[in-house]
Amino acid sequence: MSLSTNARALVLAFGLTAGVPLAAQNAGIELLATPEYLRPDPFGGIVAPDKSGSDKVAPDKIGSDKIAPGHIGAGGFSSTLHLEGARGGYVSFHLIVKMSQPGPYTLSLNFDRDRGKLQADLFREWFHFTESDKQYYPDALIPITLPYHSRLAEPDNRIAAQTAQAFWVDLWIPADAEPITYAAQAVLEAGGQRSAVHIELKVLPAVIPDDDVMLMDHNSYGTSWLADDYPSISKKLGAGFFQSDEFFRLIHAYHRIFFEHRGIFHQLGYGHAGKVGPEFAPALGGSGRTRHITDWNLYDRHYGPLFDGSAFAGTRRGAQPIPFVYLPVNPEWPAAFLNWGEPGYEAEFVNVMAEMDRHFRDKGWTRTRFEVFFNHKKRYMGFPWDGDEVRFPTDNRYFLEYGRLLKKALPPDTPVKFVFRADTSWDMEQQFRDLAGVVNMWVASRDILSWLPRAPAMLRERGDVIWFYSGPPAVTQPASTITQFPVEGWMWGVGGFVHWLTVGAGSDPWFHFDGGGTALVYSGDRFGIAGPIPSVRLKIQRNAVQELALLASFSKRKPVDELRKEAARLYNHTAPADWWNLRPAFADEPTYNWSGTALDAAAKPAMSHLEHIDPAAWVRVRQYVMRLAAEEPLRK
Amino acid sequence: MKVLLLTVVSLIPLAAAERDMARELDEVARAATVMVDGDVCQRIVTPRAIDYMFKKDPRDPWVDGDNYEVNDPAFIAVKKTLIRLSHLAPFPCDVNLWMPIAGHPDKIRVVIRNVNEMSQFWPWGKLYQDMIPQMKQVLETGRRIAVAEKPGWVSVLAPVHNSLDDTVALVEVVSQTRLDAHENVK
Repeated sequence: MSLSTNARALVLAFGLTAGVPLAAQNAGIELLATPEYLRPDPFGGIVAPDKSGSDKVAPDKIGSDKIAPGHIGAGGFSSTLHLEGARGGYVSFHLIVKMSQPGPYTLSLNFDRDRGKLQADLFREWFHFTESDKQYYPDALIPITLPYHSRLAEPDNRIAAQTAQAFWVDLWIPADAEPITYAAQAVLEAGGQRSAVHIELKVLPAVIPDDDVMLMDHNSYGTSWLADDYPSISKKLGAGFFQSDEFFRLIHAYHRIFFEHRGIFHQLGYGHAGKVGPEFAPALGGSGRTRHITDWNLYDRHYGPLFDGSAFAGTRRGAQPIPFVYLPVNPEWPAAFLNWGEPGYEAEFVNVMAEMDRHFRDKGWTRTRFEVFFNHKKRYMGFPWDGDEVRFPTDNRYFLEYGRLLKKALPPDTPVKFVFRADTSWDMEQQFRDLAGVVNMWVASRDILSWLPRAPAMLRERGDVIWFYSGPPAVTQPASTITQFPVEGWMWGVGGFVHWLTVGAGSDPWFHFDGGGTALVYSGDRFGIAGPIPSVRLKIQRNAVQELALLASFSKRKPVDELRKEAARLYNHTAPADWWNLRPAFADEPTYNWSGTALDAAAKPAMSHLEHIDPAAWVRVRQYVMRLAAEEPLRK
Repeated sequence: MKVLLLTVVSLIPLAAAERDMARELDEVARAATVMVDGDVCQRIVTPRAIDYMFKKDPRDPWVDGDNYEVNDPAFIAVKKTLIRLSHLAPFPCDVNLWMPIAGHPDKIRVVIRNVNEMSQFWPWGKLYQDMIPQMKQVLETGRRIAVAEKPGWVSVLAPVHNSLDDTVALVEVVSQTRLDAHENVK
């Protein structure tokens, strides 16, 4: 197998600098490593998108990294790793067990000398058979403990001709780790033979900041999917599942896995016609002037540990409250739509919101931003206006009315952080103007925001939160594709990104996979794990986000525009201006006259730079980050 | 009035609980035929939205939904009536409004849904769908029909008339013997 030019760049960038000396290879078994952006397949190769993406890029387009073909292993695989990483972060790679014959094996990983405070997390990579192209891709990561004993072909993955099993390795470098070079060996033993990967990790003095410049949000809807995804729990508990401790532990586990991967988790708790899941809202009683909260039990069991941070105790990032949460507020909650436009609606809304404010204040839940957010669309026939993605500007008057009600309900000096969020697309420009001072959290369509380069700064200056949204790339796209969202957001000066759905892995992700365009985690149920398991894509995103935070932190000693310029050049050979589009002429017309096709065309120039992210894109930026990190003085 | 000529329908063999439920729902449905104003119903969805409903563009797969719009005073007036009707039942029920589409006799569309997000017929997210035979029957005969095709579900379909005494819509008065508190929270 020949190695593409960019794969060589990746190998060098990750320090996979030693090849696989033929004499050292054991006949029939090999343990090898690849960089995180070269995903292994179950037959000893690299998945096609991680090769073909690079093959499409001409050698002169890969940046300034020198290529030394004589120092690389076949197909991007190598038996020696020279890695470097900053403290307070992860360094990751794939280990691949290759065996020409079926049989048992043992995998272990040991530090040669003192490992200090470093920790290694290993995961077996599940190979998903993907229906769209009939190929296998590794994505779900099953935690393993070492030494790991199994066999090829891996029994539960059921790939008859499997000759390679991949493992994801996370090396965690705590912020107080000693900045020295550590050495370790991963060892494969099978059939009386032994093969090893030698790992050298240079820990830099720089420390990755706790806070991210891009908050990566992972969205979901309701909880009914939990019963489906965890049959071993839901069947056992039957009708009691949705009120059980196990149920709330599951929800908290989802928050925890995204938090551990430098992200957050959102669960919307109501439907398009206003049905509220009982665990998403306190129970209400009465009507009109007597409407009030009757029971906080389920709400507090759900959210209490998230708002006081105790749900995150024991994590590497420490116990801290979630920064954002949806409220259950919608046109049917807390006020009944029957009373809309009448004094009773205002009484019900104001009474209950004021009660919520008092409850949150009493509990000391003052670090989370509570989002009043309308998700409904009139096309789902629940209500006569669009709360989400307003297209018809007359709908904005409903936002103004809710702004008035909120102002009446909440004391101006409340320490509880209520925010009014709008997810905005068609009518974005007009909403930014007309709803100034009412809506103060915006989640913007990527396409339309791309022609409003002054908007992020304008919104930030008036104190608003500005994020943008899209969705996870499928596993069939190059592994590096998921890095584009944090990079794009940072280039644009926005503070967060929403993957619109991240827990919907389809009816059979294991053997008939839909590609994962709506999933970044998987149910651990089939592996006996009462909670979600991560994915390769989530790990890659986390690593990029942590390195982006480190890069942005260097703005103390380099102008941020200079950092952005160099990052853009290295990432996809662009200038920062290339990340924006021209405002199209049709943007002056009423939004209800716009067409989706014209909108797509208007967004295309900037998006075209992100259509084919080569596997080495983030690696080049990472090299730059590490160069800057190496210049950082040691902080104890 | 035509409504006085209607007969309570019990077409299907039901378990006792469902039979009681069907009886209650039928009472609501009978009232709905009297109370829901068909002329106002006809003003809810704009002609432009109905025109776009049938547009197909492979480059713009959401062209139909993106152009769906309603006259909100008409929507709100009818929705409030439907909500009040649902409160006649001693258990949670929804009263949904369905309407035929001029020029498309083989299609039917839901126009207003309600807070329990229940329907025995609506495939989630559809702007319109193939005509439901029982709905066609209601629109043609003006008679109420009880439907219990999905286990544990009962819907009573009843006609809605305008001032010309044309049957221009129908209501689906629906409930379940076992409510699912989490379904359709999305």
